[in-house]
Amino acid sequence: MSLLKTSTRILFFTLILFVAAHSVSYADGGFPVRPGRLLIAPSVGYFFANSQWDTDGKKQAFADNGKFSSVGVTLYAEYGISRKFAAVASVPMVFNRYTTASSPTVTSSGLADLETGLRYYLANIDFIYYFSIQGTAITPLYSKNPSLGYGEEGAELKLAFSGTGHLGGLATYFNAADGVRQYFGTNGPIQNRYNATFGLSLDSDYENQISATLSGIYSQSNDKSFSVIPETNKDFSFLQASIGFGHSFSHETSLFLSGGRFVTGRNTGVGTSVSLAFIYRLDYR
Amino acid sequence: MMVKFTNKFMAVTLFLAALVCIKPAAAQESEGTVNTVLTPHDKDGVFSSTASYTFDVTSTYSTPQNGRVKYEVTTEAGKKLRSDSAAVKLGGHGSASYNFDVSGLPSGFYKINFMINVTDYDDTTRRAFGIKPDEMRSTHAKPSDFEKFWDNTKAELAAVDPEFTVTEMPDSSKDNRNVYLVEMKSLGGLTIRGWLTEPKTTNKHKKFAVMLALPGYQVNLQPLYGIDPDIAILSLNIRGQGNSKDVINVRKETYITLGVEDKNKYVLRGAIMDCVRAVDFIFTRDELRHDNIIAVGGSLGGFLAVATSSVDKRISFCSAANPILADVRTLATQVDWPFIDIRKYVNTRPGVTFDKVLNNLDYFDSKNFASDLKCRTLVGMGLLDNIAPPNTVQVLYNGITSEKHLIVFRDLAHEIGKKYVIYEGRWMRDTFALF
Repeated sequence: MSLLKTSTRILFFTLILFVAAHSVSYADGGFPVRPGRLLIAPSVGYFFANSQWDTDGKKQAFADNGKFSSVGVTLYAEYGISRKFAAVASVPMVFNRYTTASSPTVTSSGLADLETGLRYYLANIDFIYYFSIQGTAITPLYSKNPSLGYGEEGAELKLAFSGTGHLGGLATYFNAADGVRQYFGTNGPIQNRYNATFGLSLDSDYENQISATLSGIYSQSNDKSFSVIPETNKDFSFLQASIGFGHSFSHETSLFLSGGRFVTGRNTGVGTSVSLAFIYRLDYR
Repeated sequence: MMVKFTNKFMAVTLFLAALVCIKPAAAQESEGTVNTVLTPHDKDGVFSSTASYTFDVTSTYSTPQNGRVKYEVTTEAGKKLRSDSAAVKLGGHGSASYNFDVSGLPSGFYKINFMINVTDYDDTTRRAFGIKPDEMRSTHAKPSDFEKFWDNTKAELAAVDPEFTVTEMPDSSKDNRNVYLVEMKSLGGLTIRGWLTEPKTTNKHKKFAVMLALPGYQVNLQPLYGIDPDIAILSLNIRGQGNSKDVINVRKETYITLGVEDKNKYVLRGAIMDCVRAVDFIFTRDELRHDNIIAVGGSLGGFLAVATSSVDKRISFCSAANPILADVRTLATQVDWPFIDIRKYVNTRPGVTFDKVLNNLDYFDSKNFASDLKCRTLVGMGLLDNIAPPNTVQVLYNGITSEKHLIVFRDLAHEIGKKYVIYEGRWMRDTFALF
């Protein structure tokens, strides 16, 4: 007896590792979260850039053969409060490193921006396409360390749309989300953060899945300065293409590997990233 | 004499040989067929005013095919309402399309037969269609004491000690599910049985939504499996069916008539209470979610799903495919079953009249239960159904005041398609928040 587990199984992989810079953030989709379900996803990401797009979008190498790399460790969690509401949170820890040919290596590390949010399941179309809206608060977990972020509080409102389907006998899913984020400090940028993912299950048991994602940020501010640390730039944009592979070990655990590269940008580094996330979920009801 | 016989034998043999030789040539002349495709101009065959169809005809004969294509519209009961025809003149390997509009019919469901009669081919395509079905209402009222009757019946059930027993059946375990035989006492003290299958889990917090699977007429439900880790399935055999035949064990055609002359003794009164008792059982189990119970069934199972969900508000989702016994007084004029058997029963019971039986059946009319449904309800129907005709199912559906959805299968009879099962699964998972 089939009771249609498709969307539920696919949901396991709707976490999209969104490696913008030094932290791994999660741009999850419009699917609702099961009440009582706790999902915890520790992840590690590596980001590298040795070139940049300038304010006109022209690509050039970092000055003095500079190389920026960052390792981010993020703990993401979400919990289904009720049929309509879910709480989400992520805590990133970053380790930045910048080397040049002639200057000493510069490093910085610490907790970055805490994100806590509330997601609301808006609607569905025929129980195939789901819409959700999420409000997120951004709280810096550092002070007086401009290499970890803006050091400003912020808020984001995001609309997400997800769905499932079939392609040649294989189950598919997609997520599309767009969020507007405002940081509240001096020259605090206003940003449009977006992503779109298409995923494909490689087997009928949903054990293995692949996905392709386009994501990006368009950030506007009066502060036009450039830093090799993308998260500290305020006026910039980029578009990143990523591919991912997910493997489910059991109903409770899975692993997600993702790699991506910035394909276009403005006033930002030309980033390349890889990340690995372990996803664990448990039902408390 | 012998010569005469030999000559006759030779003549017959030669004649047969000639026939054999000639036959291939004749067959070659008439080889071919006529293919027809009937396309309603609404995918469900449900129209807001005029029913319109296109009848495509393609001939593979090399010879001309002449004749007529005709349609005939009747009520569900067979009363002729409309007909029209068009001349068909097809050349060799020719094709043509014929459009037909059927207008001026009041709200309802109708049977329509398209007949083609040409030189070398005759065929009939039987279909049905609806006109403004949302406007359909029953002309037969619900008994004023309907709710009271069922409240009293439930009170009578409550007085019966259920004596639930659960026996694990390890040999039946499969699909990572534990299987249990469930026994319980129901109305009148009868023992009824069902099968509970639960996904195996190591999660001590896990609670399962419950699918209460209700049987079709004289169907012996077995344990139901499946790989879904979120759903426990209780398949119930009502009294007189499957492994619940300790007291009632009758021939198939007799079952529906048992006690039909007395609403307090009718077999379906006990059968519906058997389903309520199954819900009682679900409420005794800590591992089952008491607020996530779906009652599911087709045919008699659809009837039981509607009736049980109506009298027992603990059920949170009702799925009824091809529910029988809807709008009984109308049904009695349209279908053979079960009224042939009921009339036979009436004829053998002095003092019992068919009118009296209908008065009794008002308390078991699924459309009368439907109006009391409070849970989300999915209904499926086939337009060609001759056991649960679409007009009766539509009346049932229109009477539902809770959130509801109807899936129409244009070309199916007493069955539903995969689309229904898919929608049921999706809606149920959304309702129970099994995202």
